[in-house]
Amino acid sequence: MAKRLKVANPARCIGCYSCMMACARTWYDTISLKNSRIDIQTRGGIETPYVQIVCHACIDPPCMRACPLGALSKRKGGGVNLNKEICDGCGNCIEACLMGAIHLDAENKAVICKHCGVCPKFCPHDVLEMVEVEDSGEVKITDTGPAPDTSPVSPTASHKDLYGGEEPGEEE
Amino acid sequence: MTTEEYAIEGLKNILYIDLGSQSYHVEERPDLYEKYLGGVGVATNLMLEEYKEGTGPLDPEMPIILSTGPLSGIYPTCTKAVALFRSPHNGELGESYAGGHLAMSMRYSGYETIVIKGASRYPVYVAVHDDKVTFRDASSIWHLSSAIDVGKILREVEPGAGRRSIIRIGPAGEMGVTYADVNVDTYRHFGRLGLGAVFGAKKLKAVLISGNRELKSPEHNAYRKTCNLLYDLIVKTGLTEKYHNLGTSENILVLNELKGLPTRNLQSAFFEGAETISGELFAEKYLLRRVSCAGCPIGCIHIAMLKRAFSKAHEYEALNISYDFELIYALGSNLGVADPEAVLELIEACEKAGVDIISMGVVLAWATEMQQRGKISTDETLGLELSWGDKGAYLRAIDLLVKAPNDFYRALGKGIAYASKKYGGEEFAIQLGGLEIPGYHTGLGNIVGLAVGFRHSHLDNAGYTADQKAFNHPISDEEIVDTIIEEEDRRSILNCLVPCLFGRNVYTYENVILALKSIGINRTEEELKELGKDIFRKKYELKKKFGFKFENLTLPKRFFETPSTTGMVEEERVRRAIEMYREKRGV
Repeated sequence: MAKRLKVANPARCIGCYSCMMACARTWYDTISLKNSRIDIQTRGGIETPYVQIVCHACIDPPCMRACPLGALSKRKGGGVNLNKEICDGCGNCIEACLMGAIHLDAENKAVICKHCGVCPKFCPHDVLEMVEVEDSGEVKITDTGPAPDTSPVSPTASHKDLYGGEEPGEEE
Repeated sequence: MTTEEYAIEGLKNILYIDLGSQSYHVEERPDLYEKYLGGVGVATNLMLEEYKEGTGPLDPEMPIILSTGPLSGIYPTCTKAVALFRSPHNGELGESYAGGHLAMSMRYSGYETIVIKGASRYPVYVAVHDDKVTFRDASSIWHLSSAIDVGKILREVEPGAGRRSIIRIGPAGEMGVTYADVNVDTYRHFGRLGLGAVFGAKKLKAVLISGNRELKSPEHNAYRKTCNLLYDLIVKTGLTEKYHNLGTSENILVLNELKGLPTRNLQSAFFEGAETISGELFAEKYLLRRVSCAGCPIGCIHIAMLKRAFSKAHEYEALNISYDFELIYALGSNLGVADPEAVLELIEACEKAGVDIISMGVVLAWATEMQQRGKISTDETLGLELSWGDKGAYLRAIDLLVKAPNDFYRALGKGIAYASKKYGGEEFAIQLGGLEIPGYHTGLGNIVGLAVGFRHSHLDNAGYTADQKAFNHPISDEEIVDTIIEEEDRRSILNCLVPCLFGRNVYTYENVILALKSIGINRTEEELKELGKDIFRKKYELKKKFGFKFENLTLPKRFFETPSTTGMVEEERVRRAIEMYREKRGV
């Protein structure tokens, strides 16, 4: 079943950059924010809400059309797969993406999200989600009931209750 | 192991900036990083190298040293940078820690440590973008009325959004208030001991640092595994729950119940209005959102929204103000302010001025008691009448203190140790080592901890936790002293690395050793403990050079008149415990 990344709850972002660090260390052997395929940005410092730039998993990706060498091919579930060998860093794909979700790495190769699902695992606030889509990339309509109540599970449910497992050696 | 084998890049660089000649150079000091890892260890040694006998805190030659450690920008919650300087507030060791984006920006810029020397003839700011350092005229932003606005302007004129840190001073730093702070990315600060005044004396309005380097670990898989383990400990266990949830302000009600919350200049340690300025109340009525320092999944920065009507036609202004326990103590209970919106407005005024809020709150509390006791009159205050809980009077006092229109307000701008020498009231000037006290009156451990601490801060050794221990199960005074010593050494080690101390229960010896090993640095627990002791010795060497003497420590009577969490504390008992500490430490 195909899945894609979605910014489900942008206003919950605390700007911890855990997703970016996780992406970079998973797909590059480096520690950096630079090689992340997801980009958390500030618009007015941390005084204003964060902006999450991710690949939109287009059904008919303009970046693919813009690539003169055919380094990008359609991905099952929307978006593209990159053949790094072919990419020569011309940057046409960057121009084509209105989301601003593509950039070049140190070796001048495109950095494009492959919707692998690592970053949501490192989001402490459920900003990011993997959603099921058709192979074509079309959004699947699965929920037809009332929208779920987003208030806390209980008024006192805390971060620990929401995410916690056991508590190793909590002091005091 | 030699530094050449460190795979983590940048663990040898020190960027020297000279404001006088507007020049800079980089020195490689693998020797220092090898021995001291980074952070306060490297900074302390550099200060010992740089300090020339007799140089005053505000002299141009006096350096500011900013330093990060091997874990900075690498592991979750390792978000702190240390600033080392000579404090213009008490002349002693100036040491302060700040979060925000600074540590990550420094690390990714490739300069793990920055030494700023000299003074400019006119206002400047320094921008560091990876390996480029530029000096720009800051005259047009000097005299701005708000430290917050400085960030707003520099964000527009400099690149690097989201990957940079902007540290800057407000009017208090320019005017030389000795407890002026340095604002770091709006909501964090180098708060205590007056780094802002040092910036001001150097005519340094701001430093902007952005970095976009890639670092490498020698064993990427080991690094990834350790990252995952630490992330899970921080996010999925209860170890940092307090900071996820209500934040530090959770302590208002806790300390009040324990009768350890300094109130009205510590005339009491219980505030009858605590309910309305509690962390619970702020969370419920004013909390707008929480944000993080770069690289920390906790999100402890609590931001309140204060919606204020300015006309009868339903017109409002909305202010976003970050709050914490110490701020609510200093501008709330200690000033008898029970109105949460008044607390937020007072915080806002201090943020704009760019002052350390703990010192400001204690200074205002002391001045209030002075006036009530008739030791000063409206002649000194220029007509202003200070009284507990009076927001309007305190807002005006903050304004006057920064503008310093007469000797009295100028004295208030130098702190209560200075002002009480001049005007009297030393017995209720609640300071230790010349630094206004934080929000604890828990007993012996707290007082001793503040007295002996490197910089007389609760963060040196958390003496109040020794009291907490004693409160739960009575322990001897010697055990309290031992607890302080042990915690002091542990924190010295952490401050070389440099995680936020909110993650101190995540970064145990075991996990620190693992985290270092996963990036190619091998240390045993014994070696780390020896490092802690080494830093202690080095810091006391520095303190001595700056003129610290135990004999000069004054203990204000007020500490011994107001019952604490663990009962009445006698001066003699404190003196004996300090002696015990000195003997055990050999200082």
